[in-house]
Amino acid sequence: MLRLRLMHRLPRWIGVLRTIIGVPDYDRYLRHMRTRHPDCAVMSPAEFANERLEARYSRPGSRCC
Amino acid sequence: MRSARTVVLWGLIAAVGAAALGRVALSRGESINAAWLLTAAICTYLVGYRFYARFIATAIFALDADRATPAVRKADGHDFVPTNKWVVFGHHFAAIAGPGPLVGPTLAAQFGYLPGALWIIIGVVLGGAVQDFVILCSSIRRDGRSLGQMAKDEIGPVAGITALVAVLGIMVVLISVLALVVVNALKASPWGTVTISLTVPIAMFMGLYLRFLRPDKVLEASAIGLVMLAGALWAGQWVAANPALAPFFTLTGPTLALLIMAYGFAASVLPVWLLLAPRDYLSAFVKIGVVVALAVGILLVLPPLSMPAVTQFVDGSGPVFSGKVFPFVFITIACGAISGFHALIASGTTPKLLSREPDAKLVGYGAMLTESLVAIMALIAACVLTPGVYFAINAPVAALGTTAESAALAVQQWGFVLQPGEMDALAKSVGESSLLSRTGGAPSLAVGMAHLFDRALGGGGMALWYHFAIMFEALFILTTLDAGTRVGRFMLQDLGGQLWPKFREVTWQPAVWMASGLFVAMWGYFLYQGVTDPLGGINSLWPLFGMANQLLAAVALCVGTTVIIRMGKARYAWTTILPLTWLLIVVMTAGWQKLFSADPRIGFLAHASKFSALHAAGTLPPGVPSLAAMPRMVFNDRLDAAVAAFFLVSVLVIVFDSVRTWIKVVRGAVPAGSTEVPAQSTTLFAAD
Repeated sequence: MLRLRLMHRLPRWIGVLRTIIGVPDYDRYLRHMRTRHPDCAVMSPAEFANERLEARYSRPGSRCC
Repeated sequence: MRSARTVVLWGLIAAVGAAALGRVALSRGESINAAWLLTAAICTYLVGYRFYARFIATAIFALDADRATPAVRKADGHDFVPTNKWVVFGHHFAAIAGPGPLVGPTLAAQFGYLPGALWIIIGVVLGGAVQDFVILCSSIRRDGRSLGQMAKDEIGPVAGITALVAVLGIMVVLISVLALVVVNALKASPWGTVTISLTVPIAMFMGLYLRFLRPDKVLEASAIGLVMLAGALWAGQWVAANPALAPFFTLTGPTLALLIMAYGFAASVLPVWLLLAPRDYLSAFVKIGVVVALAVGILLVLPPLSMPAVTQFVDGSGPVFSGKVFPFVFITIACGAISGFHALIASGTTPKLLSREPDAKLVGYGAMLTESLVAIMALIAACVLTPGVYFAINAPVAALGTTAESAALAVQQWGFVLQPGEMDALAKSVGESSLLSRTGGAPSLAVGMAHLFDRALGGGGMALWYHFAIMFEALFILTTLDAGTRVGRFMLQDLGGQLWPKFREVTWQPAVWMASGLFVAMWGYFLYQGVTDPLGGINSLWPLFGMANQLLAAVALCVGTTVIIRMGKARYAWTTILPLTWLLIVVMTAGWQKLFSADPRIGFLAHASKFSALHAAGTLPPGVPSLAAMPRMVFNDRLDAAVAAFFLVSVLVIVFDSVRTWIKVVRGAVPAGSTEVPAQSTTLFAAD
């Protein structure tokens, strides 16, 4: 029973961990585009990943001392 | 009923904190337990968070759960994303915490534990956390705008441009001094060199894995990476014990410096997915793991502090770095008490993630308190070493000489005890050939942490824990160094693009290579200068870094004050003016002394004249390899002086520009109208 509950929560914890270390979330982006901008073109997973990485490493302030 | 209980609870926390602080501050001659220091810090943080942060949140910004944040208003699924407050807290903390809060307190331990501890605890509650919080709030109310943009919008174009150039200068000094810490930790250490070098192919393997084998399986790739890191630790030990291979990886400072420059250049021109991104994921996990392990280690062992509360070096004669406790303890410890760099992050990714305005208190103020706690733990780890051992590791060759006997003698003359053979035995137990004069803070922190981990967790013994500590310190530093070099490259391309537009194109390889090479040359020059400096380099570069960081903090506080005054809350502007004034006193005094002190150990210019006089007379000072090297050292001194002068002038420009604006607003010459984006209710925006 407890194990079942833990298994249920695992995906959520994985999501939290991924957000904390700054992994871009393609599914969330897709969901956003579908619901809010259904007629706009959507980036492919690879395009999205590239766009996120370039945004993260091209401005000061993504890292500290 | 409930309010009575609350009053009693907070009264109790305040009383315990005050008692612990009193115990820490007033104990003399007997060693006190680290528990007192931890209790004093945590209670002060709790009180600061509950009362001061709440005061700023309600009285000044009137944070409103119903007012839409940029993440809600501009939600786009990738940049602006409403996120749970604890997740933002974790993300923000992982971005602000780096090697800074570990190295600074370790160096400042030469004054004893008390000056550093008081500055960390008081400085964060009234300064550092306020700065982060105010900048975060200001940015949230302005669509997540960056510090540079806010300086331009709120104060004026002069302040804006000065802030931009200052950020570039700060990055150069920051990267060079952090690289110097790594070089000093890896010098003549085949184990450390092999382990750290292996982290590069490990990150590249992860990058390829994520790109081609299992796209997007970041946690899986990180787990594999962590296992490989443990393997790298063993590989290092194996190489160090192998008489045929060990000499090949036993490198000198200048060689290591050139290798690190090559690494920085590669990280700047290679695709991000191959090296930077996977290394970042790895380092984020290691970062969180180490902070937790350090806390567990200290809590389980609760070590007594061997360092006295205050040493005689408060008079300015300290061997680790020179200068009196005022102002230099406030320059040496930047991160952990107040760090201007955080303002870049609090106005970068974080404001685009907050889903509710009141969450800014936890993220802005709370995350900085957590970083401050890390600084306190680093201070504890440095102070569990006996003073004799601490100074034998951290004092430069010029003060200790090159043999165990000369070092023991020097330490005894300072009034501390160092048993004959103690350093050799210690070096042997951590798997190094020598620990004498391993300046920079990383080795002594690693010895302290190894000591704690070994007592608390057991495991592989001192040697493995020591190299584990060196590995993660280097990992932190290299992630700051490679990402910083890349950002520096972009800033240079942007600047160059003003004159020659093609230079700005990030897909035009010649520009990418030129800008990367130029930026690496800039920090590489200071790094090389530090590596070949007989006083150890840290002595001249760390104060420059501290001043740079506090300069950026001064810029941030000027922006914060201007924001507060322009929103018509001038009566509360003291919250940012108080830390700003203190920083100005500290930075100006330190800068003045670094420039004009007649003591050649402190003043850059006095040191330059001393060396040119010696050079003219044909005398070779201790630690200098040849007479021919001296003119370059004189030039370096003058260059450092010029950098310090540049920082001071930048501070003055921004402060004068800000004060002019404040007076205009208070007098009514400029309307007090806020530059905030008009309030809109969250209910107007549909959730995804």
